[in-house]
Formats: sequence, structure tokens, C-alpha cells
Amino acid sequence: MVENIDNKNMELERDPNYWQGFFSIQKDPEFDKAKRNEEKKISDNDNSGLSRRKFLALVGASAALAGVGCADYRDKGEIMPYNKMPEEISLGNPTFYASTCNLCSNSCGILVRTREGRPIKIDGNPEHTVSKGKICARGQASILDLYDPDRLQNPLRKTKEGKFIKTTWDSANKEFFKVLESAQGQIAVITHQINSPTTKKLLDDFKKKYPTTKIYTYELFNDSIRNKAWKKCYGTDFYPIIKWNEAKVIVSLEADFLGNDGNKIENARLFAEGRDVENIKNFSRLYVAEANMSLTGINADYRLKVKPELQYEFVMSLLNELNRRDNLELPISVSNFSLKTFAKNNNIKEDLLKHLINDLITYKGKSIVFAGRSLPEETQIAVNLLNEVLGNNNLYNSSESFISNSELNSLDDFNKLVSEMNSGNIFAVIHFDSNPVYHLPENMGYKNALKKVGTVVTLTESANETSVKSNLVFAINHQLESWGDAKTRTGFYSLQQPVISPLFNTRQKEAVLLNWIKVENENYTEKMYHSYLMDNWKTNIYPSLNSKIEFTRFWYGALNDGVVTTNEKEKAKFSFDKKLLNSLSTSPKKSDGYTVIVKESYVLGDGRQANNGWLQELPNPMIQSVWDNYASISIETAKNLSVKNNDKISIDTGNGKKEYPIFIQPGATNNTITIDSGYGRTTIGKVGEGTGFSISGLMSNQPKFTPWIFTDAKVSKANGTYTIVTDQEAHLFEKTPSENIFAQRGILVEGTVNEYKKYPYFLKEEKGKGNHKSPEIYPEQKELYNGVKWGMAIDLNKCIGCSECIVACNAENNVPIVGKEQMEKDRRMQWLRIDKYYSGSYDEPIVSSQPMLCQQCDDAPCENVCPVAATTHTSDGLNQMVYNRCVGTRYCANNCPYKVRRFNYFDFRDHFKDGYQKEEVFDLVYNPEVSVRSRGVMEKCTFCIQRIMEEKASAIRENRGIIGSNVKTACQESCPTNAIKFGDINAKDSVFAKYRNHKLGYYALEGVNTKPNVTYIAKLRNTHTEES
Amino acid sequence: MKKSFLDYVLRVRLPITLFVLVAAFAVTYYVSRAERDGLGYTPNQPINYSHKLHAGQMNIDCQYCHIGVEKTRHAMVPAVSTCMNCHTIARADKPEIIKLKKYYDDGIAIPWKRIHRVPDFVYFNHSVHVSQGIDCISCHGDIRNMDKVGQMKSFTMSSCLDCHRDAHNNVPYVKNLKNGPENCWTCHR
Repeated sequence: MVENIDNKNMELERDPNYWQGFFSIQKDPEFDKAKRNEEKKISDNDNSGLSRRKFLALVGASAALAGVGCADYRDKGEIMPYNKMPEEISLGNPTFYASTCNLCSNSCGILVRTREGRPIKIDGNPEHTVSKGKICARGQASILDLYDPDRLQNPLRKTKEGKFIKTTWDSANKEFFKVLESAQGQIAVITHQINSPTTKKLLDDFKKKYPTTKIYTYELFNDSIRNKAWKKCYGTDFYPIIKWNEAKVIVSLEADFLGNDGNKIENARLFAEGRDVENIKNFSRLYVAEANMSLTGINADYRLKVKPELQYEFVMSLLNELNRRDNLELPISVSNFSLKTFAKNNNIKEDLLKHLINDLITYKGKSIVFAGRSLPEETQIAVNLLNEVLGNNNLYNSSESFISNSELNSLDDFNKLVSEMNSGNIFAVIHFDSNPVYHLPENMGYKNALKKVGTVVTLTESANETSVKSNLVFAINHQLESWGDAKTRTGFYSLQQPVISPLFNTRQKEAVLLNWIKVENENYTEKMYHSYLMDNWKTNIYPSLNSKIEFTRFWYGALNDGVVTTNEKEKAKFSFDKKLLNSLSTSPKKSDGYTVIVKESYVLGDGRQANNGWLQELPNPMIQSVWDNYASISIETAKNLSVKNNDKISIDTGNGKKEYPIFIQPGATNNTITIDSGYGRTTIGKVGEGTGFSISGLMSNQPKFTPWIFTDAKVSKANGTYTIVTDQEAHLFEKTPSENIFAQRGILVEGTVNEYKKYPYFLKEEKGKGNHKSPEIYPEQKELYNGVKWGMAIDLNKCIGCSECIVACNAENNVPIVGKEQMEKDRRMQWLRIDKYYSGSYDEPIVSSQPMLCQQCDDAPCENVCPVAATTHTSDGLNQMVYNRCVGTRYCANNCPYKVRRFNYFDFRDHFKDGYQKEEVFDLVYNPEVSVRSRGVMEKCTFCIQRIMEEKASAIRENRGIIGSNVKTACQESCPTNAIKFGDINAKDSVFAKYRNHKLGYYALEGVNTKPNVTYIAKLRNTHTEES
Repeated sequence: MKKSFLDYVLRVRLPITLFVLVAAFAVTYYVSRAERDGLGYTPNQPINYSHKLHAGQMNIDCQYCHIGVEKTRHAMVPAVSTCMNCHTIARADKPEIIKLKKYYDDGIAIPWKRIHRVPDFVYFNHSVHVSQGIDCISCHGDIRNMDKVGQMKSFTMSSCLDCHRDAHNNVPYVKNLKNGPENCWTCHR
């Protein structure tokens, strides 16, 4: 029970009590029983009856079989070569195109791998100045959106009965153009943030042609508060990038900069640069003060639980304390804020705050305090002041600024729009690839206001909540079928080019608008927007670049690179406006009652990709939940509300009651409730149907605190339960948390920076001490592996647990989506998982992440139990799995100590959502270099054998030896922090070998003596163990 | 003891029946082996293209058409445009060339019948074999003397392994050729 866990958590001891289960927190006897009967769960009857589709398939298959029996059995089909061979294609080799992702306001550069003309994988563009070859999970998964069978394939028109029927582009355009021409009032264009200068120009042109047009821009989550505060403090809209890599101390206040606040790919890279064990002197320390566990909180050295409305008091108390210690000449009075009182009220250990204050003073000018975008302006200003007085502003990158092409409209602007709509002043609304019915606060009444608008049109890729309220729906291209450009930062532009021609009868959204502008003079052509884009570059952007190359050549060069660097040189100077501080409140505010926080989902973002199975099945980094969102609360709060995991609670933030299932998050602040966005879509395809709960009912059109945080919410227990599936419980073997099994068996090995500084070999010595080691399975084999031997090293100091690698692996290795029901039965198929281990107390846990994949053991326990020799060893040290030999006994999975083998209980392509993954268009996403596995076959991580074979083939062709560093596995390529290294163990002077034989290196479960080829670099916590 | 009918069945009839069955199976198995492996499969192609004429008599290099064979996994059946490099002028009046030109003009791919095939869980790579100096003939037979191409060698896993295990005797014309790898992941993944 909770009582017998010791609460001392301040300093990490080397064998903390790791515990993994969340249900065990509550000592649920039902759960214990279920765990004991795991096999029973597996053998559940899965035959949910023969659906109509399956029946027809069966009939068809029988008929086909009968036909085949009579046909020419020697026939081997046909080979269809090209009629005219495209120049750039060489069959069997991938072609790469540089482009730009436009799924969020970061507009990262992407490199699209295509095979025989179809894109199969999205990676980051290494030439791109910001993303540097990395791309987030959502960007990677967007390849699945391209081949989504649920996409709109034609423009649609709503009939009088309210049904949508297929129509042609010509008739839909004609119909809407008539409306536009009538000009009976205002036109409203609703769009997400525009990052493209050319799209911006297009909208301006549209406004010129139809002068009554007004553009409304929104993002569900945005930096507007932080930017506004910045502008007030420094009088400039030069929003600098923070040099996370140079900071010695990072204090993050309710800011999830590694997860969803800002450009997470860039932040993660810079943060990890500052956490390099090779540069231990400059190892940064991360303090996180937050309400609920976030990805940043997981990586914290010290974590404080602070309610968001108390962050202001926290910052001011810090200022007061710093002022007392180190006269800062503060321009305002902070004497009413006392750090001691704050610590007492919020149950924060004083030692911890002492460390924080000491660090801030010691590392003046080398520390950064960062406030989350959801915090109110006042807190943001106070944080700016804190950084200012500590001289931390030299960690602002003064030569690079965020740039946005479109100002976001405030909620008030939208309130006005709604009232204009209601009064009938607006005759046409154009949803420019946006979904305001789902995104805007429910109480704004946008949905009903649409009824008063003469004509509503929506440009969208797939049906959504807004498109069903429209008269005309224009099916638009996916980003990989579109032209475009983007400008998000000082210093460069990025370009977007199509890599496949439209799969369906769709058009690019910009081209649709352009067609409406040019309707009298020009008919639509596919090249329409392309030439508009080129013209804009030629006349507006190219001249400013002072390029010496002639435009057409410049353009092709730019498309090839995907990025155009400019020589804009800005050197911003930041001068703090001290007058402003008079507006800050000088005494703390009280806070009681429940606080509700809505947060951008790590996996789904704002929900526009909710029909993406890879994302839905990507475990949330905190509790590893899949397919749903939930109300995340602390154990204490759950007790007060007398609810258990999966029970529903009802939340009222002032707009009526909404119900959500709860899940207990260790480390959550009491009386706060955190809910992720992006779920609960009502109009969506097969995959996203019925997943999770919408947050728009919690949001308000006139938020009192901030648009994402609601104080004084009414919360009570509701009836009913809803099952949240979490993977955290899978393969769980601990009975009580105190069993301490994870550290004892050497799954996780951790230490502190100080210990390492003192004696780098401290972990190696410790391991030597009487640790049990099993005898070797094959004692005689000493002379093996003379040539190349493949290995991987994972630096747990750099791994932030973001799960980007999982999506990369899914895409590379044709891993199927299995669905929520199968996930519940632990039948997930992902080859790579990120295990989360919690340690310390339930109230203030320490979290460790560990990517777990096939360890390719030299003495692999799976191999000697296979009755058909379907899994054996290669001469280069890989544990090979041969699908066409496997008969599915599952012995290997049972004998695997790492639980990394995955069994195809079904042909999931057929099983999931009635053959969703067997639709014709879905097939195009598969990597042709990897077999698509069927039912009854075991599978697992192969170290991307297809990429290894590619290197082997080129080595043979070029008549040279194999170079280990030429192979990059998919997970390694996608890792934003470069935590994963891969290479040849026997290449002694390579970079990889350094990690393989690292002082901090260890193997998971070393005692089992499987001799893994995956080395983990032990995680070091930068705590004050030695001094205190 | 009197021999019953059952004894007769068990002692005489059953063994004979079993023997006949096993023998029939064994004979059929070995006789049909070539057929099952696809040996001698020589389908009619949509255009009567002759390798004997092009590769044999005119001595055009295999790689003039099969351009991928040194670079990629696939040898590649040439695009129609490759044929038209010559046949826009050469023999443009012959009936087969008229057929060819029609394909080209209509922009349609020619549905060549596939002759050599490995299952789709096998990832065979032409380039690594050719770059070692192994001639096309070793697997595809004497194409230069075939008017109509057919399968001459077996494409089963055992025929791959035969060569990988004893490269020296199977490909005697390449000196110092090492045996090929035998790891499953060499071909299956």
C-alpha cells in the first residue's frame, strides 16, 4: 500500500524501488486475478461473427480458387515494364525528394523516400536549418494519411435532404462562383496559421478580388500569450529561439518544451546536446515545475508539483528570495511573496528550493527559466523579468527569430464573427483546410451560427465535423501531392513539392482558391498553382536573395535542396521595459478547487490526424495509453472523488457537465485534471471513430484564466466506466512495488553525474560485485564473429522517451495496426517500445524511459527452443527470424527475457476494422523491401536488415569491405536527440565502438548472460547527491 | 489355424496397396519434378521477340536492355521506349514491329509473360551476383541461342544453395569466387 513506500525521493539512490503498474497502486484484486490469468485472456474467443464483407470475401475466394484450379498452373503472371522509362527512377532503388511538412506551424523540412513513384517513408531533411534531418511522429505518420482509404475522393454537394452526393469539380466550382459573384455581404475565410508566403499572397489576392473577404486564423494551441508578453516586455516581435544547449540550469514552468511547446524536434536536439556524457562538465540540470506529468517532467532532475495558477506566486517568490540573497535591484516590490510560505503551502521540500536558488545564483547568465505557453501573461512577464535580472538573456538566440506570416485572431475576433454570422451579415464561409466546429470552444456556438450563413464550403482532405455542416465540400490534396513554400524563421525559406500526382479526384487547396480568383480568364490546370508559386518567387523572393544564378536554375536547385538560405542578418537587442512591471500584482492569489488543464496531445496534436492508426496506437509517453484520452489525476484526488481507474467523472468548467474516464497519474498535483486534445472526433473515418473524448466542451469562448487552463471547475464522480488501454501493464511481473526487481536484475542501471565525475567506472565496479550470472549456453563458440558484427547503443541520457522511433519503425517495417481490443490483450505489434519505469513514491515519482527492442543476443534464448529452426543466428551477429519458416509455436516469445517478439494472432490487415488495411490504396504504403507478415507468424526487430543488406550489396558492387557507419536503422534516423547509435562492433576505432565499450555501458538483464548486442548507456541524474 | 479373410487383407492386400501407392507417389514426384520447378516453361509472348537474333546474332549486350542488372536488385525488363531506340527506323514495316509501335504510341505497357520467378518472400539481388562476374547463362541458360525464352534452370531454394555452398564447381569460369552466404536473412526478411 501507499504507506509502506518511503517518501524520500530527494536524492536518487542507486537502487530505487521501481514499479510499473498503475492498477497495482489501487490494489485492485480484480486486476491481480486478471494478471494471473493472462493466458485465459489470450484464449478469448475472437470470432465476432462473420460480417457481410468477410462472407463476400469468402465466396469470392472460393470462386477464385475454383477458377485457379482450372487455369494454367504454370502461369507466373506478367511483367509490366514502363512504356517510357522516367529518367530519375531506377527500379529497386529509392528516390528521395526534399519537401516541407505543413501539418503544424513548425513547417519542418522533410525528405520523402519514394519507390517506383510512390512515397513510402517520410524522414527529416538533413539540409533543413531547423529540423536537421529529424521529423516528429505526426510528420512521419502523415504518409499514412496520404493512403487513407477514408479520404475524400471527389468534391461533394449537399442535397436538400442533407445527404452528400458526388459532384464534379466544374459544377461545384460553378455553383460556388455564382455565390461569390452575388456578393451579398461578407465572406469569411477560416484557416489555420499560414506559414507559406505564397499562400499569404494568394489570400491577399483573394481579398482583392472579393473585397468583402475577411481572413480568420486560428490554432487550437498557440504561443500568442507568450509572444504578447514578450512584445510588451521588449517592444519587439522578434521572438528569439532559446539556446537550450548552452544552459547549465533549465527551469521549466508548466512548459513541455520537449513534448509539445514550441518546436519539439529542435528543442529536444538542443536539450540533449547539453546532456552529453562525453562532455560531463557541461551537463545541464533540469528543474520542472508542473501540474501533471509531462514528457519534460519525465526527464527532470528535480520535479516540483505546482498548480498552474500558482506559478506566478512561485516566480515572484523566487525573485524575492534571490533578491534577499543577492540584491537584484528589482524594479517592483516582491516582499509579499515568500518562498518559505509557498513551499509550505504546496508541500514542496525546502531543500529542493534551496538547490534551485543556489543554482540560479551560481549559474547566472547560464540558466534559463521558461514559462509554458498556457500560462497567463502576468506569469510570462514575471518570468521574463526573472531571466532579465539573472542576466539569462544571453541564452536567447539574438540572430534567429520565429516568423509568422499570419497573425492569429483572438477568441474575441471569433466571437464577433459568430455574432455577425448569426445576424446574417456573412453570406459565405470558406473553411480553408480547417475544422473550427471541432476546434473552437463549444459554447461559442459556431456550429449553429453556420446555419445562418448562405453558403458554407469546406476544403478538406477527409470528412470532418465542419464539412458535414457545409453545402459544398472540396476534396483537397495531401501535403505530398501539393506545391508550396514556408517561412518560419530568420535566415531561410523551405520549399514544398509534390512527390506523387493526386491519387484521387482532388485539387490542391491553394489551386481551388486561385481558380476562384481567375475564374473568368483561366480554366483550372494542374500546373496552375505551381506557376503561381514560381511567379511569386520570381518577382518577390528571388530578387531579395541576390542570387547570381539565373532563376530557372536557381528554382530547380532550390527544389532539390528543399531549403533556400537567405542572408538576412538580424542582431536583435533586447531592452526590458521596466515600466510595465507596475501592472503586475504584488500579492499572491489564493487557489483552491479543481483546475482543469487541456493539453495538446503528444500523439494526435489538435486532432486533425485522428484517423491515423499509427498515431492512435502510439503509446502516450506518460502512462502508455493508446487509442483514447482520459482525465489524468493524482491518487489523492482520486481518493477524494472516490474513483478508480476507468471510472468516469464529470467536469464542469462553466459550460455544463462533460464526462471523462479517469486514469491515475503518479506525480500529478492534487486537484488538477489534465486532458489531452485531439480525441472525440464525431465525423471521421473508420480508424478514429469512437476514440476518446472531445475537449471543446471544456473550452470557453471567454476564458477567465487562459484559454487552456480553467480554475475553479466543478468535478464530481459520474456513473459508468470506460476502459483505457495502457501498455504499461503488459508483461508486468512485479507483485508489490517493493520487490525492487528492475534494478536488482539490471534492467535499469542509473547513477548520478557527481558519481560519474568522481569515478567514471563506478557502475562497472558495482556490477562486478557478486551479481549472479547464468552459465553460457554455448561455451565452446569462441571464434565467431570475426567480420562485421552489428550492434546498437542507446544513450539513456539522451533518450527523452518521445516515441518518434516507434513510428519510424512502423513505417519502415510494415508493422500493422491492431486496434484497441487487441492492444488490450497485449497483442501489440510494434517492434520497438519505450518502457517507462516509475520509482520513488507515488506522489513524487522519478521516471525512467528505456527503448526496448530485440537485443540480438549472441546466446539468444529464443533460438534453441524453436522446433523448426525459424530463428537462428547469422555470422554477423544477428538473431534472424524467417517468416516463411515459422509455424507459430510461440516458444521463442515465451523464452525471450526481453519480451520483444510479436506474434500475428491474426492477419491484422484483414482483422482490424474489417480489412481497413487491405483496401487497395492502403497497399501503396508498404515498404517493398520488407515482407508483409501474415497470420500465425512470429516477428521482431531485425536491426533493419533490409538496410544492412543494402550496404552489403553496395559493398560487393564497389568491391570494398562493409562499413558499419553506412547503415542507419530507421529508429536511429528518426531519433531527434541522436540517442541511438548503430554500427560495427568489430570496427574498433569507429564512433560506435566508443559507445559500445562505454564506461557507463551495460546490457539489460546482464545476469541472464544472453550477451546482447544492444548496449545501454546508463542514465545519469544531475542531482545534488554529493553535496547535500 | 484357418486363415481368415482378414488375414489375407492384412498380409497381402494392404502391403500391396501401400506399395503401389508409395511407388506411384515416388515415381510421380520424381518424374514431375522438372515440371513442378517450372523447367521448360516457354510461354508465348505478346510480341515474338527473339533473344537469339538480338543477343546472339547481332551480339547486343544484355545490359543494353537490362540496365538495372549491375546497379539494383532487378535486372529490369526494358521499357517500350528502349525498343523504339532502334525500331523507330529499323524494320518498321514488319508485323511484330507494327505491334510494338502500337503499344508505344498508345502509351501502354507490354504485358510480357513472366518466366523466371522467385516467391515474394525472397529478395534476390541481381547486382551482387553480376558484379562478381557471374554470367547470366549460369542461371538463365543460353539465352543467346533461344528464339523463344524458356526456363532452363530450377529456381528453388536448393538450387540457390547448391551454388552458394559450392561456388567453385558451379561457376568455374570465375576465379577465386568465394562461396555465397547461407544466412536466412541473405534472401528472406
